[in-house]
Amino acid sequence: MQVSDDHSVNQKFIRAFHSALFKTLVNFVLLILALIAAYKFIPFITDAVFMIIMAVVLTAVISPAIDWLEAKGVKRGIAVALFFIVTFSLVGMVIARGAPALIDEIGKLKNLIPSTSTNGTVDQLIGKFNAWVAQYLPSLQIEPSMVAKVTSSFFSQIGTIVTTTLSAFSSFLFILIITVFFLVDGRRMMKALIGMVPNQYFEMSLNIAYKTQEQLTNFLRGQLIAAGGVGIQSILGLHILNWVFDANISGPFLIGGIAGVANIIPYIGPFAGTLPAIVVSLFNNFGDPVAASHMYFIPHIVVMFIIVQLIDNNFISPLVVSGAMEMHPLTVMLVILIGSKWGVVGMLLAVPGWGIIKVIFHEIMSGIRQHRAAVG
Amino acid sequence: MSKSESKMTVPLYESVRRRFRRNRSEAEIVLSTVHIFSKLSRSEIRQVENVMHVRHYTMNETIVKQGAPGSGMYIIVSGNVGIYILNHDHEEQLVTELEKGDFFGEIAVLNDAPRTATARALENCTILGFYRPDLLGLLETKPQIGIKILLALSEVLATRLSMTNEELSRAQRQLQKLEDERRDAGE
Repeated sequence: MQVSDDHSVNQKFIRAFHSALFKTLVNFVLLILALIAAYKFIPFITDAVFMIIMAVVLTAVISPAIDWLEAKGVKRGIAVALFFIVTFSLVGMVIARGAPALIDEIGKLKNLIPSTSTNGTVDQLIGKFNAWVAQYLPSLQIEPSMVAKVTSSFFSQIGTIVTTTLSAFSSFLFILIITVFFLVDGRRMMKALIGMVPNQYFEMSLNIAYKTQEQLTNFLRGQLIAAGGVGIQSILGLHILNWVFDANISGPFLIGGIAGVANIIPYIGPFAGTLPAIVVSLFNNFGDPVAASHMYFIPHIVVMFIIVQLIDNNFISPLVVSGAMEMHPLTVMLVILIGSKWGVVGMLLAVPGWGIIKVIFHEIMSGIRQHRAAVG
Repeated sequence: MSKSESKMTVPLYESVRRRFRRNRSEAEIVLSTVHIFSKLSRSEIRQVENVMHVRHYTMNETIVKQGAPGSGMYIIVSGNVGIYILNHDHEEQLVTELEKGDFFGEIAVLNDAPRTATARALENCTILGFYRPDLLGLLETKPQIGIKILLALSEVLATRLSMTNEELSRAQRQLQKLEDERRDAGE
């Protein structure tokens, strides 16, 4: 009797083991198939996914304004229409008034390099710079060819951004259309999507979706406010340097704008913002023998950007950027490296993109953990 | 009475009212009977219904589990629901049965504390779920509706609190009485 009992227990164990093994194998094969399918089809859907992600980002940024209008009694559809009419009118006005000046600024900056390179004054400037540096660090000398290469690639990148932006106009239009749909019907879409979740996980999914949306909006809004803050401070700082110290930096709006946008990238952004200001001031000042010999404007610029960063890191960012979004420098570098596959725009979007993924993952995992801990 | 005569007898305002009267859904009718939404107008109830989630539960299916984090309340549109709590032996004990128009879990809309009881469908049920994100969304986009709901929720909680206070003071009186009796018996 004992033997037959043992035998049946063994039989049951073997059956359970076979069943578990079969399930694992099936799951493994399905995973491989899913990975192959993803690898094959991702190139086809990348554009669509990119557009949807951009529309989600835009929706998260715009929706507080639409919510505010709706709370004032305006119907959501009309609120969206009003928002876009006002925004397009403002953008139109800014372009009509500001674009010629901006193009002029870019033109001036771009013309600065070839004209100076041809008459040899850049070499003259670098020679003076090397002589100045040699007093302190004899080993650190700059090759003129290297500077020409770096600066020309920097400005060619600006040109690439402009042409890419123009050629991507149709994509932008599609993104705007998707954004309008998300803004007007987003809640209904989300409700329908969550409605498909089984009863057991419904409440948990709803909470995760809400928290993710909230975190995403806060993260993007924080990044935009911080970038705007750094941009405005940099513009003001550059103007102060021009007025008070006669630093002779042309294009403060463009440089300030670059500093603001670059600030989205942690650790590397602040340097990326300082560099154009130094380069422009170098090219602008080498005609002035006093300025060129002392290079006093470089410490001024560096100190100004350090002050901007101090204000941002101590007063603006702690208030507007979530602490949960802190990233390890190595993570930032890796993410930027991956983003560089899509050029400068990819590098810029890589960090906020990683932030979005981190927020979603963090919320999903903590939601599941809470649910498991509670249910046991 | 002929058909034309019957038409003649209907007043104009009644005819207009009938023409424009919208058929109310079952959920809408149920919602108008729930205390928390009783302060809302018909159009406001329709807006609340739009943000709510209709869920269907089969017999014996758990709706909420005791101890799980809660984030919303449930209103029964059809069917019966049993409310269970775990006793000292960790066995589920039926506390009450709820039916159409009843609601449960309203505290979770305001506070994400763990559920204090398990709710299970006693038959196939249709239930409306109203969750904290829905209330927060209403407060952002339709504050006049959100505030009315919050006020009604506060009323429910205030009533419960005063009932609990009464129970507590009654229990304290009884305890005092028992202690007095024990002291008297000892003497």
